[in-house]
Amino acid sequence: MAFGKSIVRFDWITIVLFLALVAIGWMNIYSASLSDSTAGFFDMNQIYIKQLVWIGLSIVLIIFILALDAKFYERFASIIYIVSLLSLIGLFVFGKNISGATSWYVFGGVSLQPSEFAKAATALALAKYVSDIQTNMNEFRHQLFAFLIIALPALFIVPQPDPGSALVYAAFVFPLYREGLHFVYLLLGFFAAALFVSTLAFGAIWVMLAVLLATVLVFLKNRKRRPNLLKYATIAIACIGFAFSVSYIFNNVFEQRHRDRFNIVLGKEVDAKGIGYNTNQSEIAIGSGGWFGKGWTQGTQTKGNFVPEQHTDYIFSTVGEEWGFAGSLVVVALFVGLILRTLVLAERQKNQFSRVYGYSVAAILFLHFFVNVGMVTGLFPTVGIPLPFFSYGGSGLWGFTILLFIFVRLDGSNYYYT
Amino acid sequence: MAGAEKNILNRLYFVAGCMFIFAILIALKLVDIQFLEGDKYRELAQKNTTRNFVIPANRGNVYADDGSLLATSVPKYDIRFDAMTVSPENFKEHLVPLSKELSDMFGRPASYYQNVFRKARANKNRYLLVVKNLGYSDYIRVKSMPLFKLGPYKGGIIVEQRTIREHPIGKIAERMVGNEDRNNPGYYAVGLEGAFNKELRGKEGHRLKQKIAKGQWKPVYDDNEVEPQDGYDVISTINVNIQDIAHHALLKQMEHYEAEHGSVIVMDVKTGEIKAVSNLGRAKNGGYYEKLNYAVGESHEPGSTFKVMAMMVALEDKVIDTATIVDTKQGSKAFYGRRINDSRRGGYGEISAAKALEVSSNIGLASLIDDNYKDDPKKFTDRIKSWKLNDRIGIPIKGEGRPIIPEPGDEIWSRNALPSMAYGYNLQLTPLQTLTFYNAIANNGTMVKPRFIKEIRAWNKPVEHFETEVMIDKIASEKTINEIQAILENIVKRGTGKSLYSDYFSMAGKTGTARTEYGEKDWSQNRRYISSFAGYFPAVNPKYSCIVVIHKPSTKKGYYGADVTGPVFKRIAQKIFTDSPLIAEVSSINAQDPSVAKDFETYYKKVQTRYQKIPNVTGMAGMDAVSLLENLGLKVRVIGNGTVKEQSIKSGIPLEKGQQITLNLS
Repeated sequence: MAFGKSIVRFDWITIVLFLALVAIGWMNIYSASLSDSTAGFFDMNQIYIKQLVWIGLSIVLIIFILALDAKFYERFASIIYIVSLLSLIGLFVFGKNISGATSWYVFGGVSLQPSEFAKAATALALAKYVSDIQTNMNEFRHQLFAFLIIALPALFIVPQPDPGSALVYAAFVFPLYREGLHFVYLLLGFFAAALFVSTLAFGAIWVMLAVLLATVLVFLKNRKRRPNLLKYATIAIACIGFAFSVSYIFNNVFEQRHRDRFNIVLGKEVDAKGIGYNTNQSEIAIGSGGWFGKGWTQGTQTKGNFVPEQHTDYIFSTVGEEWGFAGSLVVVALFVGLILRTLVLAERQKNQFSRVYGYSVAAILFLHFFVNVGMVTGLFPTVGIPLPFFSYGGSGLWGFTILLFIFVRLDGSNYYYT
Repeated sequence: MAGAEKNILNRLYFVAGCMFIFAILIALKLVDIQFLEGDKYRELAQKNTTRNFVIPANRGNVYADDGSLLATSVPKYDIRFDAMTVSPENFKEHLVPLSKELSDMFGRPASYYQNVFRKARANKNRYLLVVKNLGYSDYIRVKSMPLFKLGPYKGGIIVEQRTIREHPIGKIAERMVGNEDRNNPGYYAVGLEGAFNKELRGKEGHRLKQKIAKGQWKPVYDDNEVEPQDGYDVISTINVNIQDIAHHALLKQMEHYEAEHGSVIVMDVKTGEIKAVSNLGRAKNGGYYEKLNYAVGESHEPGSTFKVMAMMVALEDKVIDTATIVDTKQGSKAFYGRRINDSRRGGYGEISAAKALEVSSNIGLASLIDDNYKDDPKKFTDRIKSWKLNDRIGIPIKGEGRPIIPEPGDEIWSRNALPSMAYGYNLQLTPLQTLTFYNAIANNGTMVKPRFIKEIRAWNKPVEHFETEVMIDKIASEKTINEIQAILENIVKRGTGKSLYSDYFSMAGKTGTARTEYGEKDWSQNRRYISSFAGYFPAVNPKYSCIVVIHKPSTKKGYYGADVTGPVFKRIAQKIFTDSPLIAEVSSINAQDPSVAKDFETYYKKVQTRYQKIPNVTGMAGMDAVSLLENLGLKVRVIGNGTVKEQSIKSGIPLEKGQQITLNLS
């Protein structure tokens, strides 16, 4: 095993950031789930006690992860990935439906959500494939295969249905980009997103007019260079076609609740008691916090249980209410710190496998953090994904712990490889 | 190589930059929520956590004229069980005794309750209905059962209190009293409940509370912001005994004649107080229930009861007198091409006007009126209208029917209108209006407004007292009134109502048998009538007036007013005067007669000596024994419930005031 044979130095900054987030997270879960019932503090039915048990178990998990040889993860990446895929497929047969989504295996009183673990597995598999000496990320065939690795788990997660968790897989574009995927892919992605949003906001007709206007302007500007009319026309038509298909899909394929979520963020509808209720209540909680908040366990909105799902997806609203702007900034800083630290460490890696994996970790944490906090603060449509290390739930906590600590382990043996 | 590395570094910066921008975005959004719009959200948060709680006011009661309850609100309790909150030990320990006690109380086997509770626990049912609609004392008993007495958290008992409106005298007079809107709890639209809803319902109070945890609210201030004001009590004029008599008399007749619907109103002649209103309609299963307020709401062609009005017009105008002879021919006469028939075959020939009314001759009345008013029919209708018969009476109860009295120039006016009106067709009245008119005759010409309410009270203090309202001081001259009174009395003595005549008590009234729905094609095969009887009793110095209307009796069994409705009237009159001691009013309760006073004294002494000893209460119901002993000045301690099994002081032992006696009940 790795210990004793080699010099292993784990990155303590990452570990301290992790511990800080988990500790603050638990304090907020405690506050959000505190009820005035007569049950004692150590009642196993209390959510905060359950979470404490999960945290304790994840420490055990960390020791186990760090104890394994770093090479283990690279060698068994494919197998871990396949097992993870099987566990997702198995849900269609053995899965239990909890609050509308068949995303859970239930063993006795414990429920596990395999999609939380699939992220780490996918990161491993992607890292292994990209770092393979045969793989050239500039070749279309290899790009396609890399995308396949990313897309497969997402494909199994979407029909659970859990589109939020599937969305997270978009994060893997970042490590691929770092490994040489052409910038055009990112640009295309951004451009498509911009078209998407503006189509929903202004309607396909206006987008079409804008695209035509822009095309004509660019064409006129470049006319001395004798631009290829056909090329311009193709791009314009593709954009317009995209806008119209977005409009069609939005109105005919999406369900009303999905449409509502977008419309609320785009400001098209104000609906305080309906679909936007969660976000509205969450904004009220955060907004009432002010500079330094109302103090731990003193939040009136938190205690009043006004924000639905506050101990899970909406946990950040507790931070905003009870710790105020200052506390929220500290949490944001801790997250940004952890993500940047992961990025720096990833860039420091000598072998490509660790680097790709590190980038994946940073990207996944980033996406979760941004989408979740964006949703809680009303910046983003409602997408139900947890805030890493904060939200209540054993699978989520374990999933992120495994994801992060495999990287800590890989990074720790860097010295070994040199 | 350096270029490649720079490229990679750029990529790192790009990725890191993206993430940084998003972090800034979030920070900006936080600034927006917490500072730019912070005030708005803080205000919303304040609103969120404090809420104005409504404290419902107790609805007032509706009383009968003697103070007995017609409608009152009582709390009812539903007991539910949260099978998940109980610890396994408690559940195991108390399941059997709890089931046993429930079984003792509600009669189902104990095993049934055990099964239900076990199943609920297996299914994680947190809201199992155990029993419904308990009264207060039963609720207290259930609450103290094993397990349940541990309270909501440990014992899993969930108590839900509701207030329901109860009618202590049952379904009788339900329509008049009114009831809660079935689809709209807490809402009252009909009957007295609806008419005096504003007074009865009181005013809601408010209390500001702050939410401190899920489902828990703490009052913000010590006092209520607005104290609730209980509703006033409404003392109606309804007399429970008369109501009961009227209800059953009508019901019996309706059942016998298989009629569609009918109503009875009994009115106090002098004051206009409505003593009873019964409205029965046939249900689909053939039974009868208080369906709609026909007495007040249904306007229909009155038929022969209106002949009295017609005759009075002519008498008052002095165009005829009671002795005026009218030729009723052979029982059939044409008026303007339309034939009017009398019910007696062969007719009555030449008779006096009084006789025409006594025998209820259609031709007689039609001739008398047509002969005298055909040149100026408006004179006739004007007099009718002067009696306010074309207006709603204006009672507070919702849905009063609209009468129709046509006059020349109206759409429904024709040459035939006048003779038709003479015997009660071509116009519409509600039973209450007809009664109001008959009551005026009984009241020697003073028309008083029918009323349903005596008083509105807050606790025992009168808030508003309702006096008799005179609508018309004198509807006709003394002479006319006397003549009509005589005819009405004669109708019962020897006219169409003679089958009702009794030697023992006197009545006056007019029968009515009106065709209804005669415009329908199938009328000749399926004839439909409205039988009615309106009058008052006793014939001299009348006390009550009464109208009975029965729609569509089975023609196989009879349809004449004298047969169908007359007996109801008679039974009511008879019962009120013979059975009910209510009328035998004692003018002064100070018994001045020395012999009576002496009697009472000896009685009182006897009572006193009799109970100077401890009575034997074993075998007596616990409640009765307690009240008996407490009235004797003893302190009573009770163990258990049921009937008295044992008493701690034996019977026959001299009694000492304040002594404690223990009763063992079982």
